[in-house]
Amino acid sequence: MGLPLTPDASLLTASDSLEVGMEIYVLVKQVPDPEAIIKVKSDLELEIENKYFTSFFDEIAVEAGLKLKEKFGGKVTVLTLDNRRVDALRRGISMGADEAVQIADPAFEGSDQFAVARTLAAYLKDKPFDLILTGRQAMDDDAGIVGPGVAECLGIPHVHSIISLEVDVQGREAKVTREVENGKEILTCPLPALFTCQKGLNSPRIPQVMNVMKAMKAQIKKVDLASLGLGPADVGSQALRVKVQKYLPPPKRPPVKMIKEDFPENVKTLVKLLREEAKVI
Amino acid sequence: MALDFSFTEEQEFFRQTVRDAVNRLIMPRVKELDEKEEFPWDLWKEFAGLGYLGLRHQETYGGMETDTITQMIFYEELARGSCGFAMSAIMQILMGTYFIARFGNEEIKQRILVPAIKGEKIGTICFTEDQSGSDLGGTRTLATKVDGGWRINGRKQWITNGPIAEFTTVMATVDPKLGLKGLNFFLVEKKTADRDGFVTGQRLHKLGSRCSVTGELVYDNVFIPDENFLGEEIGKGVQYAGEILNEVRVMTGMNALAISKEAMEDARQYANNRVAFGNPISKYQLIREKFAKFWAWYEASRTLLYKCAWMIQSNIPCTNECMLAKYHATEMCMYAVEEGMRIYGGNAFCSEYPVQRFWRDAKFLLYGGGTHEVLCDYLGRIYCKD
Amino acid sequence: MPNEIWVTAEQQGGKVKKIAFELLSAGIDFSKKTGQEVAALLLGSGLEEAAKSLTPFADKIYLLDDPSFTPYTSDAYLMSIASLLKEHQPSLLLGGATSTGKDLFPRLAMHLQTGYVPDCTGLSMGEDQKLTARRPLFGGKVFAEIAFSEARPQMATVRNNTFLVNENPNRSAKIIPVSPRIDPFSVRKKVTGFERAAGAKLDITEADIVVAAGRGIKAPENFKIMEDLADAINASVGTTRATVDEGWRDLKDQIGKSGKNISAKLYMAFGVSGAIHHVLGIGTCKTVVAVDTDPNALIFNYADYGIVGDLFQIVPALTDELKRVLSSE
Repeated sequence: MGLPLTPDASLLTASDSLEVGMEIYVLVKQVPDPEAIIKVKSDLELEIENKYFTSFFDEIAVEAGLKLKEKFGGKVTVLTLDNRRVDALRRGISMGADEAVQIADPAFEGSDQFAVARTLAAYLKDKPFDLILTGRQAMDDDAGIVGPGVAECLGIPHVHSIISLEVDVQGREAKVTREVENGKEILTCPLPALFTCQKGLNSPRIPQVMNVMKAMKAQIKKVDLASLGLGPADVGSQALRVKVQKYLPPPKRPPVKMIKEDFPENVKTLVKLLREEAKVI
Repeated sequence: MALDFSFTEEQEFFRQTVRDAVNRLIMPRVKELDEKEEFPWDLWKEFAGLGYLGLRHQETYGGMETDTITQMIFYEELARGSCGFAMSAIMQILMGTYFIARFGNEEIKQRILVPAIKGEKIGTICFTEDQSGSDLGGTRTLATKVDGGWRINGRKQWITNGPIAEFTTVMATVDPKLGLKGLNFFLVEKKTADRDGFVTGQRLHKLGSRCSVTGELVYDNVFIPDENFLGEEIGKGVQYAGEILNEVRVMTGMNALAISKEAMEDARQYANNRVAFGNPISKYQLIREKFAKFWAWYEASRTLLYKCAWMIQSNIPCTNECMLAKYHATEMCMYAVEEGMRIYGGNAFCSEYPVQRFWRDAKFLLYGGGTHEVLCDYLGRIYCKD
Repeated sequence: MPNEIWVTAEQQGGKVKKIAFELLSAGIDFSKKTGQEVAALLLGSGLEEAAKSLTPFADKIYLLDDPSFTPYTSDAYLMSIASLLKEHQPSLLLGGATSTGKDLFPRLAMHLQTGYVPDCTGLSMGEDQKLTARRPLFGGKVFAEIAFSEARPQMATVRNNTFLVNENPNRSAKIIPVSPRIDPFSVRKKVTGFERAAGAKLDITEADIVVAAGRGIKAPENFKIMEDLADAINASVGTTRATVDEGWRDLKDQIGKSGKNISAKLYMAFGVSGAIHHVLGIGTCKTVVAVDTDPNALIFNYADYGIVGDLFQIVPALTDELKRVLSSE
């Protein structure tokens, strides 16, 4: 199990109650837009164009949480660990989330995904959650570690990459479908649990301007490292289990060979090249 | 530290949100919208459902009461998508409902403004006639006082949303001899079985902005009650129009910004990709100069436009600045779409590539809010202190 | 120093997946440097054949043959594997970047407090048993070489076709049966159903050859010509986001940023414009062929061979030509 997690009563909100509806937490992240230009600046530095959006899979997770809230009542809280960007939280609020929490601390600089997962779990540990949702992976590092990692730290079951979700509130159980290589697997899982969400689960709503305005003004609760009972040695560069040694540009493909003959000679030439030059058929 | 050019974190978030909505709802359909040349009712409903049509209206009537800078961010982002759709939406948000919100009585606001903000009733404003456009003083549509109301007679042309409008704010004169001093706004609704009103005339087929429907409206001795007079005093229509002209001009500039940027981003991708004489054409200096020039003009234009937005928001008089900004942005946009066409070479001439659509859409900006000939004549006169 | 390198040998219905042989082949290469033994970790039920097929590829097979391992749940797997890992302390644990690998490995790494690098497209081993993993970030816009802290095992999941299967592996594994180490109360998830995907084709992440059509195919029924082409060369059929969003194809076949990353030996794209979302998913394919009517389509920037032409003409002709040359062998 993860680090010892000490409870901190000051972080419990007064209305923490399980009686009414579902208590849902969604882990979200603001990441570079797929269109953003990203280049290697030096061995250990990247140059990232300032174009960010809320990781698409996380939006699917927010939508899944909101759908459950609409059905059963309750509360959706969006949570991020980011020292600078809170747009993913505002996005969550604009879609309909009730609360937003930013975990931020200079000590997080250079953390790996394991430290992020431990920290998020440290925050969630004392919360009365029924369900934790997040994207199947963040669209920057594409790692998919944080979700299962949080579940492990909290000792709750998880299912990766779900494409359907039904909850039986009374039975405290969820029925989910996850995509596997040769089909779809249907599972039941007791709550509380953590699910990572995949495209196909839903299509995230476009926020209404009224909620956008609300989100622009929303108070975002800020939590630092010390209040989670963690120290600088638990996160950041001191706690790395994996470390980037070097960034590299993507391997360059040789320039494209255009086959300029007329049809059908071009097809014959292509097959010949695939067999004799590329040797792939 | 009085000079601050930054957007707030909230404004950046708002921009991102609008951009995302445009990307999801409009962008995938841009080509189809242009080719079909029909008003996209499904898109309209979906878009109206998000609440943006109430951007500048009071909360009591379902609006958002946003500030001018936020509105301009919205116009800039919206026009990135379909220019035609943006025109329809902006007509509804700004010109088509402004005077009803300003002068309409409570009953009118409940009956017309509230559904307009929901997108259920479409409205428009009518200035242009066959013999008057930028020259408002030449307006011939006549409003005659009768017992309990007014009779309106005339034809209005080039009316955005006209063929689908249910209510119009019509500029009419009480006496053509009075010129600008005779002009007033009236609310006239569409003719129905139990209500007198306007009827639609010929629909126009346009070069660009083709999914916004545009056409002629006919006012044939239409009777309207007294409360449909939109104003406090007779003869002040031009003065009232002035209240939103600054906004309209900066808004038009925002559209120009959006179209020019889209066109040049597109052209950049093409230039980086299209190989001629062994290199992508963006390696050639004559092509690069086009981008450099555009970039310089674009940045200048954007700075001036947002300065104007800030002046409007701060209640600083800025009529001249807004004219300059509109003029500059539109001419900058003409440069961008023209050079975009040239970068595309012969491919610009076929409909497979979007560059021709930017070129066609952009042309409208030259006329909306006053032709550049009239605008420049006026600005030159002011500069020369004539 | 730990004396074993481990590979989880994923199987489906008693048949070991190709990725396991690829990873064991890599393990054999590494072992030549480090002097360690290579062990396969095989979980499931009814695994006799599976174990036999692995024998030449490993020095040891830890065989956990028990009904509780079928179907896979992270609960059952994690407890048994973690306990074995603690006992034997290998220096390395590799698995496929599959739906199972991505479900199990991150949680296992957190449980063991060790390092894990997902979705690798390259691994290199030092004589000191230290692994360097290479993987794409930001959908392949950059790559990173990643090293591990002192914690062991070093864990990684690897994409299909990253390593070649050793044709002469020459090992002869000792099979070591291990009884499952599961606390039945802590198996919380239950698999209650399974819908097998239509058709017998491999998943696009697993296929050696993937052929794909984008919006250029114009209508869902036109995918028939793609299926025919795929049948001729034992390929799987992929597609782009646009056709999935139109509802023409299943999400599981979508290549790209919001779909799947593929590492096929041969990828052929027809009527695919080459939007960034798509090409991010094909960066690690070995050979890429692009066919599109637009000579300036972006997809040609990411291809090895290109033809400007109409897919409706090219695809059937290509199918016939491939059938012809393959049958004459």
